[in-house]
Amino acid sequence: MLYFLARRIAGLLLLLLVVSFVFFAMLRLGRGDPALDYLRLAQIPPTEAALAAARESLGLDRPLVEQYLTWLDHALRFDLGRSWYTSRPVTQEIAHYLPATLQLAAAAVLVMLLVGVPFGIWAALRRDRWPDNATRILAFIGVSVPNFWLAFLLVLLFSVTLGWLPAIGRDGPTSIILPAIATAAMSACVMLRLVRTSVLGALGEPHLRFARARGLARRTILGRHVVLNAMVPPMTMLGLHVGELLGGAMVVETVFAWPGIGRWALLAIQNRDYPALQGFVLAMTTVFVLCNLVIDLLHAWLDPRVRLGLPA
Amino acid sequence: MRRRPLLAALSGVPFLAPAAAKASQGGTLTFSWPVSAGPLNPHLYNPNQMYAQAMLYEPLVRYVEGGTLEPALATAWEAERGGRSFVFQLRQGVRFSDGTPFDAAAVVSNVEAVLRNRPRHAWLELIAQIDGAEALDGGTVRLRLKGPYYPALLELALIRPMRFASPAVLRPDGSLSAPVGTGPWRLAETVRGAHDLFVRNEDYWGDKPAANRLLVRVLADSNSRALALETGEIDLIYGTDQIDADTFRRFATDRRFTATLSPPLATRMLAVNSARFPTDDSAVRQAIAGGIDRAALVRHVLQGTEPAAETLFAENFPYCRLGLRAPAFDRAAAAARLDAAGWRLPAGGRVRARDGRPLSVDLCFVGADALQKALAEAVQGDLARIGIGARLIGEDAGTSDGRQRSGDFGLIFGNTWGAPYDPHAFMGSMRAPSHADFQAQRGLTEKAEIDRRIGAVLTTTDEAERVETYRWLLTTLHASGVYFPISYLTNKAVQRADLAPVPFGATRYEIPFDRMRRA
Repeated sequence: MLYFLARRIAGLLLLLLVVSFVFFAMLRLGRGDPALDYLRLAQIPPTEAALAAARESLGLDRPLVEQYLTWLDHALRFDLGRSWYTSRPVTQEIAHYLPATLQLAAAAVLVMLLVGVPFGIWAALRRDRWPDNATRILAFIGVSVPNFWLAFLLVLLFSVTLGWLPAIGRDGPTSIILPAIATAAMSACVMLRLVRTSVLGALGEPHLRFARARGLARRTILGRHVVLNAMVPPMTMLGLHVGELLGGAMVVETVFAWPGIGRWALLAIQNRDYPALQGFVLAMTTVFVLCNLVIDLLHAWLDPRVRLGLPA
Repeated sequence: MRRRPLLAALSGVPFLAPAAAKASQGGTLTFSWPVSAGPLNPHLYNPNQMYAQAMLYEPLVRYVEGGTLEPALATAWEAERGGRSFVFQLRQGVRFSDGTPFDAAAVVSNVEAVLRNRPRHAWLELIAQIDGAEALDGGTVRLRLKGPYYPALLELALIRPMRFASPAVLRPDGSLSAPVGTGPWRLAETVRGAHDLFVRNEDYWGDKPAANRLLVRVLADSNSRALALETGEIDLIYGTDQIDADTFRRFATDRRFTATLSPPLATRMLAVNSARFPTDDSAVRQAIAGGIDRAALVRHVLQGTEPAAETLFAENFPYCRLGLRAPAFDRAAAAARLDAAGWRLPAGGRVRARDGRPLSVDLCFVGADALQKALAEAVQGDLARIGIGARLIGEDAGTSDGRQRSGDFGLIFGNTWGAPYDPHAFMGSMRAPSHADFQAQRGLTEKAEIDRRIGAVLTTTDEAERVETYRWLLTTLHASGVYFPISYLTNKAVQRADLAPVPFGATRYEIPFDRMRRA
């Protein structure tokens, strides 16, 4: 298990290195002049002298690899530079905005599990009967509706028409309900269908016949031998959907005025605020990979074949 | 009465809105803005938001619609040495919100703080012209200029950089230890990305705001803003681009809200490049001027939320009441003008050509700006009907800025700067190659003379000469066809019915929260 963990952490560091370089190069080699963007954001008149001074102070006059190594040197000391728009350290900005996004993502995962798992099991146990058909239609609609549109529909119904929930802000426990549902809707529907398929697969396993022959109760068979075994694929999917949830949060945070890192990143994209974007990508990659690491550890704990490297 | 969220009530958990939001019926106004107010340094730019800087900091003189000035922190002023310096009598008894007296020493220290950072303000001629400031006595200050500069007083009225922070909070590097001004509001709390809370300055020298507090929630999306107004989570939407035209129209027909438009504040226009083929041909520019249906753009794309613009500056701006009119929309006349200039439609073709070169222009806009995109598509359709091909180029704001600097455009969207910058400061910028206006005018035979007369109009002390020079400049630019004015930008205000009619400020970002009250 320790070897497994060490291998994954080494992979994480390598991935962060590759992602940071690729993104750094994309930003610098893309269209436009970073020095001009910097002056525009700082609202400094873009005279030739100001452009030259900006290129020098930002290191843009040096070779790309040298620029990257300088950035990496600072990043290793948790210095991701200063936002060109707010002039604040990027690490401070991330520390300020990330918790709200993680809170939203955690709530969305909860919604995803609360909807996807029980309804998926229910649909599988009632295969081709009305619960299965109803959840199939629900899942079809759920994966087809864009999250920003769903967000507005939720606000119209629960905030404007019924007045039950706040439409905007992060002001209390109720204010997270609508953003979490809007963020999780699509992933919850995918989870529902995957749980259904996985449970159906587990129900067909030959070892269930032996379990019944041993006289185990139906509830025990379902709980220990069907559902537990069926949870491995949905868990893998959960890890993959963390990225989906974080990406979706960018749009949902804007609609609900949720003060998270997604909305901050959207502003950075609109402004072409390079240090902020670079920091955002690094933070999101780290969160995404760490979440997958946790999922892999759970996976290994659930399925000994994974940690022992045996064929599944 | 505002509805209380049901689930919060059922759960027994207190609804953890900021304290100010809770008290919104007891003297708190709630507003929204796309980003946080920023550190609120009166002498600096992004991320400081101008609407908030205007709430905390005051100028010596205040701009009033139409271009006149009224006393603010100065009660009287006088020009000396042929306009080379100004002496200001300061208002007595004014204090900054930290208790520091506002006096001549405070003015001098603020002027010096701005001048220490001159390169930052190179866009503003006033800062280049200021030689220094000196206190004559506790209540009198002299501002020395390097030469006569007639818009000096107008530019002193700008929201930034020449407003006054308490000397007690000014740091040598130009930053502030806290945002402290003399204005009617104080900043009480900032939660970045969530809200800014302003409270009434109880020691304000003038009429105090009717509301005790102003909560500004950070709302980036215009649809969310509209929904928040409907749910009562904000009281008011105000600004030129805080709400789209469709939503404004919807609120205008809803009796629960009042929707109003301000007088013209700036001009939305297309710059037409006179230095680039094919718009270097005057006939093409004139055909564009007469071939685009401006009234249809205003009616269908802008939903009538902005009046159609006939000229580069609206007539309510100083020196701009010249009686100029845009060429009438006449598609047949525009086509005939192109025919006469040798631009012919090839057999079976839809785009005219001359000497084998097609009559195609690059129409550039900011891709993320839905309004510019819709206008660009409508213009493309109009131009196609007179045989001009328009290639739509939608890009991010940074790349679009780059095109403005380099002149790499046929037609490009832009706005004038609005009051109090128009017309003098906007025209001053026409001389800088980094502006789209310079690039658009570069092909005009009169360009050198235009630049010379702009320089002259800014420094002359002869009012009659100034009037005549503006007349020549504005008439020449109008006739050249390098601008296609579309509409005059307005501030749009939508308020809940329980708020008394909202007044408009004289400039785009001066929002008169101090004069807003419950009905």
